[in-house]
Amino acid sequence: MRGAFMDRYISVWFLTPALLFLLFILVGPFGFMVWTSFTDLSFALPDRDGNLVGFDNFRRLMRDTLFWDSFSLTMRFMFLAVFAELLLGFAIAQVLFHHVRQRRFVLTLLMVPMMLAPIAVGLIWKLLLQGDFGMVTYYLRKVGILGDQEVILSNSDLVLAAIIGIDIWQWTPFVVLVMLAGLMSLPREPYEAAVMDGARPLQIFRDITLPLLRPIIALVVLLRGIDAFKEFDKVFLLTGGGPGSATELLSIYTYRMNFRNWDLGYGAACAFMVYFVVLIMCSIFYKAVYWNEGRPTARTDRPT
Amino acid sequence: MKQSWRIAAFAAVIAVLVIALLPYVWIILTSFKTRVDALSDTPIWLFTPTFKHYPTVFLDKGYLPLVWNSAIVAVSTTVLSLVIGAPAAYIFARHNFKAKEDLFFFFLTTRMAPPISIVVPLFLLFTEIGIIDKLIAVIIAHTSFNLSLVVWMMRGFFADIPREVDEAAQMDGLSRVGMFIRVLVPVAAPGLAASAILCFMLSWNEFLYAFILVAFEGRTLTVGIPGLITPHGTLWGQVAAVAVIATLPIIVFTTLVQRHLVRGLTFGAVKG
Amino acid sequence: MTVEFKDVSKVFDDGTLAIDRLNLSFELGEFIVLLGPSGSGKTTACRILAGLEVPSAGRVYVDGRDITDLPPRDRGMSMVFQNYALYAHRTVYQNIAYPLRVRGTDKSKIDALVRATAKMLDIERLLDRRPRQLSGGEAQRVAVARALVWKPKICLMDEPLSNLDALLRLQTRTELKRLHNELRTTFVFVTHDQEEAMTLGTRIAVLNHGRIVQFDTPRRIYRNPATRFVAEFIGRPAMNTIEGEVHDGVFHAGEIRIAVEGQPDGPVVLGVRPEQLALDKPGATAGVPFTADVVEHVEPDTLIFLKNGDVSLVLRALYDVEGIEAGDQVRVRFAPETLRFFDLETGDRRP
Repeated sequence: MRGAFMDRYISVWFLTPALLFLLFILVGPFGFMVWTSFTDLSFALPDRDGNLVGFDNFRRLMRDTLFWDSFSLTMRFMFLAVFAELLLGFAIAQVLFHHVRQRRFVLTLLMVPMMLAPIAVGLIWKLLLQGDFGMVTYYLRKVGILGDQEVILSNSDLVLAAIIGIDIWQWTPFVVLVMLAGLMSLPREPYEAAVMDGARPLQIFRDITLPLLRPIIALVVLLRGIDAFKEFDKVFLLTGGGPGSATELLSIYTYRMNFRNWDLGYGAACAFMVYFVVLIMCSIFYKAVYWNEGRPTARTDRPT
Repeated sequence: MKQSWRIAAFAAVIAVLVIALLPYVWIILTSFKTRVDALSDTPIWLFTPTFKHYPTVFLDKGYLPLVWNSAIVAVSTTVLSLVIGAPAAYIFARHNFKAKEDLFFFFLTTRMAPPISIVVPLFLLFTEIGIIDKLIAVIIAHTSFNLSLVVWMMRGFFADIPREVDEAAQMDGLSRVGMFIRVLVPVAAPGLAASAILCFMLSWNEFLYAFILVAFEGRTLTVGIPGLITPHGTLWGQVAAVAVIATLPIIVFTTLVQRHLVRGLTFGAVKG
Repeated sequence: MTVEFKDVSKVFDDGTLAIDRLNLSFELGEFIVLLGPSGSGKTTACRILAGLEVPSAGRVYVDGRDITDLPPRDRGMSMVFQNYALYAHRTVYQNIAYPLRVRGTDKSKIDALVRATAKMLDIERLLDRRPRQLSGGEAQRVAVARALVWKPKICLMDEPLSNLDALLRLQTRTELKRLHNELRTTFVFVTHDQEEAMTLGTRIAVLNHGRIVQFDTPRRIYRNPATRFVAEFIGRPAMNTIEGEVHDGVFHAGEIRIAVEGQPDGPVVLGVRPEQLALDKPGATAGVPFTADVVEHVEPDTLIFLKNGDVSLVLRALYDVEGIEAGDQVRVRFAPETLRFFDLETGDRRP
């Protein structure tokens, strides 16, 4: 009977397609990327059709100050953006949780920035920050934050702050969403118990809310951290990495190596580094969260 | 709650909403502004709208096929990811085997893969097998991240369905496969819907893979946007129109169904 | 020292009237039970006393002082919750110590107090465990320990035994009574289980539909229920009630005739406790005829379910009854001094 035949190995039948697909589409290319990083492949220079060169590309990577400048820039971007989004998002979530009745309605509107195509976000802000006719530029000049001739996107001192600000604009709603879901999932009883035990609001926040929210905060930090590190679309459209290399995040640098310079061997080494850092961040997260509790969701009591 | 806190909270929420929505509103307005109005050095809020940008860019400049391409890619990758991913998620939810958590972690890490790292070998690979500049290339690329999303989300949804449902269906005479298709899938429909919406949205909004893997024929809407920004100047009215079409359908649609989305967007981190 | 609810009412946001002009006052040192079915307002009343809910009307006083607007931490009361509400991320020791820490107790004293309380509740060996590792009964003791460690004036308990299995519930009940005797802390205990109420309380406030129907000692509630509701709620099995009419000193209900004293003519509800019915010897002709429907041997008693037409009665024989089986015809005697009468319309007890 066909049913029984498939049933016996149902795990195999159900899992294999997914595994195979990922094997071919991710693992395979990943392997190919690693291999390419050991070659001198280039579409721009003749004679460079993929001869093995050992660790040359990686040695070059270590010495490449531009790469490491980009790396540190990306790290700065990631830390500042995620930190700000966490604080702001949590604050907004608290306000919504405690003081606002029509939460759902507010959330629906609030989610708009994060649902826009990131390339469109880049476009929107490119328009808003235009020197001659940008709406935000105009008002910033009016209140004196910006000088009359200053253009944020051409100013290498300000432009990093600008893209961090735009990232905050785009992704804080996500943090609000997750935090709010977290706050709503917290059991009510420990709060009432703490109130009866005599704790003041600040103590309750420190002793009950924060510890219970720790896994969720960790998840937000991980997801946003990784996505910020991978950031490409909106910065690509906004500044293309400029002015100069003031906003050349790591993915943009890697893009330039591969698809402008066509230095594919070296570009693959760069791509590998990016992947490698992301994997490390994932592992740190996994150790941090799964180590302590066993499961990331918290439970307050066991049924009898 | 004291009244004064209430008012302060209300004001804060209004401020946040204005900041969140105004930029988007501005680009929508811009898509209806004449060139003069759009490039005015003082921002114009009230103006006589023009509707000509939309037909100009979509018909005269031939951007309409891009909408079609985006739709095909998004639908295809959603269907593909669900069909491959949901059964896998079911196995993770119900079965226990030694390598389970490691395997699941593997699925998760594929979501973490930086597109820039994957697109290079994909580009080379697809050029080799000749599907570069075809939609299928983008569909496959998008499925690479949508698949792990589906597995991640659906695992939680399937785990929430009590085992007794499986067992009752089998007692009623269905095979395990039959039970999955005929019983579990309908029961998990809300979860599947949420996953589908997310997959569609992520694919529709995606840029890098679409940008690298297709040159001209298979361009999606997002890829069309940078094309209208040239060193010679940008036709803001037109590019705004493209941006609006590239974003508004998603906004409207997800707003309507957002209740079902919340769970997926929070990645099942929190129960309920 | 008195605790007093004065004209307290509570209406919730969705319009439900939880408590309707509640008036209750009791002395410290008592074991007060708030008893009633779900929705009777007992939990709401408890939470208003705790300060977790604010009344829509009325005031609450402790020792003459109006505490209605005071936050919970300033009221000198503690609470044990139905599902214990322990702090999952802390050890049992830290859970018990929390109220002391938060109230700024001297560090040196905290340890002694925690250990003493743990010893009193027999949970010393659990001090290093986490709530996740405790059984229901153990978790509940930790909750009680946390509520008593700082020696509050009043300890509120909201259905603390409901989540325990039957045997554990009985054991813990006895322990709570012992605790009360030792500590003399005022306990306010909420429950829907009338047996619990009867065994634990020094006085019971029976609530129904947001009002106090009777507030008295268990014995008086049992023997002289103020309304039909109380009569049918208290006791296992509860009091029998028969609807009928009185004509010339005789109570009529279907084919049944019972001689009654001092009741005016008209419709009335007659009540009599199962153990106060007497089974006449076989062959007697005096009592009211009934057919035995079901006989339950609940050793050492026997419960006989009787039927006559539309009227059903339960008779509890406090001795071993031989030979009665389902289908037998028996005769039942009603002793006049055991009968209670309730108004058919209002349910109130008639003198």
